[in-house]
Amino acid sequence: MLIVRRRVGQAIVIGEQVEIHVLEIQAGRVKLGVVAPKEIPVVRAEVKLTRQQNLEAAGGATPQKAAELAQRLRSRAAGAQTRSAGQQESPEQGPCSEISGNA
Amino acid sequence: MQFQTRHFGTIEYDSDSVFEFPAGLPGFEDEREFVALEQPHIRPIVFLQSLRRAELCFITLPVQSIEPAYRLSLSAEDLRLLELPEERQPEIGSQVLCLAIVAVAEGQPPTANLLAPVVVNLANRRAVQAIMSDSGYSHRHPLPVAPREEHACSSCAEGSARPL
Repeated sequence: MLIVRRRVGQAIVIGEQVEIHVLEIQAGRVKLGVVAPKEIPVVRAEVKLTRQQNLEAAGGATPQKAAELAQRLRSRAAGAQTRSAGQQESPEQGPCSEISGNA
Repeated sequence: MQFQTRHFGTIEYDSDSVFEFPAGLPGFEDEREFVALEQPHIRPIVFLQSLRRAELCFITLPVQSIEPAYRLSLSAEDLRLLELPEERQPEIGSQVLCLAIVAVAEGQPPTANLLAPVVVNLANRRAVQAIMSDSGYSHRHPLPVAPREEHACSSCAEGSARPL
């Protein structure tokens, strides 16, 4: 990673077309201005992470996966509360037959 | 009104129950309308079903079912989109519905995006996926699940990958 020290009012240039200006600095926060051509999207890193996460989530979202998730959430909750019978821990028949039937 | 979905067949819904996302969601900027679907046997999971793309739905969980002390820190911009006052954060449950999108990828533990919850203003059904940069929450918060019980129910574990 390239590390550059800059002051308010200074900038760095990436390639021919992208400029990043330091506009304001407060305690723990910095305000940046970005100049870039329209075809280069500029977003905060969290937006990119959320976009990737949404695409992944949409790809795996089926009623079968949701039923399996619900089962695993319940098993864990039940396991945390009572460590009693093995019968409680075993998965129900309903979701199982549904999943194998629809696959 | 009716909409044909891939996973839930034909669903019926009232126009009052449509969540309107004026800005879409990151990665799905053109998807502006969703409905929440519940199935009693998988509570508290809520599906967010697109009303434009039949195949598009998200698995979500109410944030407070994951993190009982969950705190919102919506930006002024998101509060404006929701048409909520900018001076204070809305209350989950009474003012807004707050859902975390869950990712269930094959072979990976399920995670919820607590960094960017879906927030719905219950008064007008306007919705936004609010990226809460300073919240400290993770976009991949691990969910407390039991390990897959493959020995007890091998058809569950293998079913989705096996062509029938």
